[in-house]
Amino acid sequence: MATGYEQWFEMASKQMKGKTPDSLNWKSPEGITVKPLYCEDDIKGLPTVGTFPGMAPYTRGPMATMYAGRPWTIRQYAGFSTAKASNEFYRKNLAAGQKGLSVAFSLSTHRGYDSDNPRVSGDIGKAGVAIDSIEDMKILFDGIPLDKMSVSMTMNGAVIPILAMWIATAEEQGVKQEQLEGTIQNDILKEYLTRNTYIYPPEPSMRIVSDIMAYASKNMPKYNTISISGYHIMEAGADSVLQTAFTLADGVEYVRAAIRSGMDIDTFAPRLSFFFGIGMNFFMEIAMLRAARFLWHRLMQQFNPKNAKSSMLRTHCQTSGWSLTEQDPYNNVIRTTLEAMSAVLGGTQSLHTNSFDEAVCLPTELSARIARNTQIIIQEESQVCKVADPLGGSYYIEYLTNQIVEGAQKIIDEIEELGGMAKAIASGMPKLRIEESAARRQARIDQGKDVIVGVNKYRLADEKMDFDILEVPDSVRLEQIDRINDTKKNRDSAKCQACLEAVTKAAAGDGNLLEVAIAAAKARATVGEISDAMEKVFGRFVATTQCVSGAYSSEYSEASSDAAQVIEGLRKRTADFLSKTGRRPRILVTKMGQDGHDRGIKVVASSYADLGFDVDISPMFQTPEEAAKMAIENDVHIVGASSLAAGHKTLVPELIGKLKDKGAGEIMVVAGGVIPPNDYQFLYDAGCKGIFGPGTPITESAGKVMDMLEAQYCK
Amino acid sequence: MHKDPSYYIQGVMDSNRLMLARTITLVESILSTHQEIAKHVINELLPHTGKAVRLGITGVPGAGKSTFIESFGTMLTGLGHRVAVLAIDPSSTRSGGSILGDKTRMEKLAVNDLAFIRPSPSGGSLGGVARKTRETMLVCEAAGFDVIIVETVGVGQSETTVASMVDFFLVLQISGAGDELQGIKKGVLEVADAIVVNKADGDNVNRAKLAKKQYETALHLVTPSSPNWSVPVMTCSALEQRGLMEVWETIMSHKEIMTASGELEKKRQDQAMSWMWFLVNEGLERWFYQHPEIQKLLPGIKHDVEVGKIAPTRAADDLVSILGKDLLL
Repeated sequence: MATGYEQWFEMASKQMKGKTPDSLNWKSPEGITVKPLYCEDDIKGLPTVGTFPGMAPYTRGPMATMYAGRPWTIRQYAGFSTAKASNEFYRKNLAAGQKGLSVAFSLSTHRGYDSDNPRVSGDIGKAGVAIDSIEDMKILFDGIPLDKMSVSMTMNGAVIPILAMWIATAEEQGVKQEQLEGTIQNDILKEYLTRNTYIYPPEPSMRIVSDIMAYASKNMPKYNTISISGYHIMEAGADSVLQTAFTLADGVEYVRAAIRSGMDIDTFAPRLSFFFGIGMNFFMEIAMLRAARFLWHRLMQQFNPKNAKSSMLRTHCQTSGWSLTEQDPYNNVIRTTLEAMSAVLGGTQSLHTNSFDEAVCLPTELSARIARNTQIIIQEESQVCKVADPLGGSYYIEYLTNQIVEGAQKIIDEIEELGGMAKAIASGMPKLRIEESAARRQARIDQGKDVIVGVNKYRLADEKMDFDILEVPDSVRLEQIDRINDTKKNRDSAKCQACLEAVTKAAAGDGNLLEVAIAAAKARATVGEISDAMEKVFGRFVATTQCVSGAYSSEYSEASSDAAQVIEGLRKRTADFLSKTGRRPRILVTKMGQDGHDRGIKVVASSYADLGFDVDISPMFQTPEEAAKMAIENDVHIVGASSLAAGHKTLVPELIGKLKDKGAGEIMVVAGGVIPPNDYQFLYDAGCKGIFGPGTPITESAGKVMDMLEAQYCK
Repeated sequence: MHKDPSYYIQGVMDSNRLMLARTITLVESILSTHQEIAKHVINELLPHTGKAVRLGITGVPGAGKSTFIESFGTMLTGLGHRVAVLAIDPSSTRSGGSILGDKTRMEKLAVNDLAFIRPSPSGGSLGGVARKTRETMLVCEAAGFDVIIVETVGVGQSETTVASMVDFFLVLQISGAGDELQGIKKGVLEVADAIVVNKADGDNVNRAKLAKKQYETALHLVTPSSPNWSVPVMTCSALEQRGLMEVWETIMSHKEIMTASGELEKKRQDQAMSWMWFLVNEGLERWFYQHPEIQKLLPGIKHDVEVGKIAPTRAADDLVSILGKDLLL
């Protein structure tokens, strides 16, 4: 007698006219083979099956009743360019039903620069609010009682001055430190991996993390001292297995650092929180959260925690910003909804949903409202909150959960062999894995293997932007500078100086950095001054840029001959260019300003090299002047400037101007990244030769670049 | 590309950064028309060259070459030197393209006005690297740079090529677990003028010291290239900027000793001579392969050798005699 599965197999084969259902197997980006059907046999004996929510190993969620008891916290991350504008926005959101606050900071602040620093003239108020001193922080939280409001702050690099200023602000409001609730991201390891908003080298940075944990465990018992973030790792191109593995490995490294600094596991581990990014692979994302909880519990056992909460993974989630498209942008509302559903079905503790216009600009009031309502509607209209872990026991979900557990465990073992995550990062291994994964994904999108509606399929013939775009005017920078000058004029400079010297001394010795920084914040020292006081001892970190090669084109080698021919065609054009002009087309890819998201330029560099270009990569955080110098010395044909954080309107024209000033006006400049279409004409008028928005296939941009180069050099 | 050599010559002599960069592009071009102009330019610049310290640096990937050059070059500019860095990056054999990322690790030096950094793709052939780099070095000297650093990845034969065009060849090593000497080739030890164990910092200091001892032992087995110079093994930390001045002092004392003994002049003469012979060989090869008769007959002869129809010696004779009967011995 045939089993049910065998009967099904036979029926399916018949319906498929002789092909077996195996031919429908799909290999996910993680390398997991996904079959068209899962049955009881697929989950027999798996360790995640048959467990309960609220009980170890927490696969089904950290709370016993999950959302049936209390739904997740709607926590929207936002920061407008000035403290005043952000403050108004927060107050409005709180009135509209939001429960917690989440602050986004300006790129300049992240990197520890004051607004009057010439290096950051294009970055002030971009991506969030600029904070220079406690005076700005006081405006930011004006009328918001910090003893009642849980505040989450995305800060990693300048974490000491910012946290110090927030604590000092609370104290000046009359709030005691022990009353403070909230989370600071404080996850420096992933900055070296992906986002690059670090200031100091890894070793002193890890000490800063431990100092904060130690200070809070003594003085701020309700405060979450770290949010171990996979989000940025995913946004940089990691698949779910890589995100899980690297995030948890980061977590283990922090635990070890805290234990080394003399803390007991149960004093800090219950306050560790996580932050995962949720992409479009619906079931995979759900399984990822379940797998992460299971693995964290397993990993924590080596530290012998007594408190059950020490091995319980609690997480915030954010829908993927990278999955949003500039083309046909209202589709992003639907993408975000699906991703939010994954996060919810996976059992997140709090959630940020992106605004649909985030692929183009900072969110407006309308887009922010839709984003928030997405969550409210799921919570209050869809009835999904009634049951804890509703997908527990699903054959497919349980199977995927275990596949991710196994895949991630393998990578974690590899990291342990290298001596832990800090050593692994120094070896470059995680970064290269992420970049390889990103380059492969780009190649799949460019070939249409991964569909993105409105980008590589069902694309609108003629697109018009019909929504408002938030712009950051230069007056923001000038206002900030005025306030710095005022603050400096009115403070007791001898006292401030003494406080800054205490920070330097603590950096060199054993004092707690947060403790001395709070005093400096109260004495009106600026973010830049406190950062510099530590830099004197720690130095500034310079990243090692490595780049994979071959990953982009290797996705094509398995592809249909049409796609492979496109690659061959471009390779022939670069080779012809060499034989006609004496050298290969040479492009400098650069990322100016303080935005550290370098996925874009890495993918471009790696794939252009695969197409036969000579590709120069500039150091991170360059000024237009420095980029121009490099373009000239390396004598490139063309510069590709990547911008993701609204700096393009100052940085790109400045670069073009500097090239002209130095007599190299024939070096062409193209721009790529997040650039609102309304700004295209502005950039063209400034002399920019081409603009490649998000979602432009590499083969398309490379083809256009070759058109320009051939027109100029192969006449 | 300009046709007039004086356009480039003037620009280089004026130390114009833009013109220096364009002249290097000219030198690197594979077009014969460009090479003709380049030959002219180099010839005119030659009297203005020769005064710089020519330094070659190699090391396995991960030895911290770029970080070393960043710290070392910055230190030299602090001493008032003008430093040119020529970095050779491998080209992909498949696509021909390359990723030139050296400056990402030389952030400070890259924006330093006393420094000039030019990464170059290795392109197809080793001979290509040799020609381009040698001439680029001369162009930089004529532009007034008094320290030229040539950086190469320690794979293939590129180290010996670079060693044959510099005054001082520095091999950068790191300590690691286990057998320290695995990462170093005997041929590299033979051309090294100093071995520097980098990354002697943090918990690595003791391992670096151990590695230093092992290299010293290994060097005993190599015949020194000069009776006046025994190859030192040093440790440094480019990251913490320790030991760099000692490296520079070693290079300076090498220069003094070699100048006094006349070996430096002799070395440069030998290098020029072997370079000439290299070019002669290259010319002959080109002549051979581009000869229409040979191109016609080569496939058939190759086949005959493969199947054993004629002996390799006979085949070689047949081919060479196409260029002229009197070439046969």
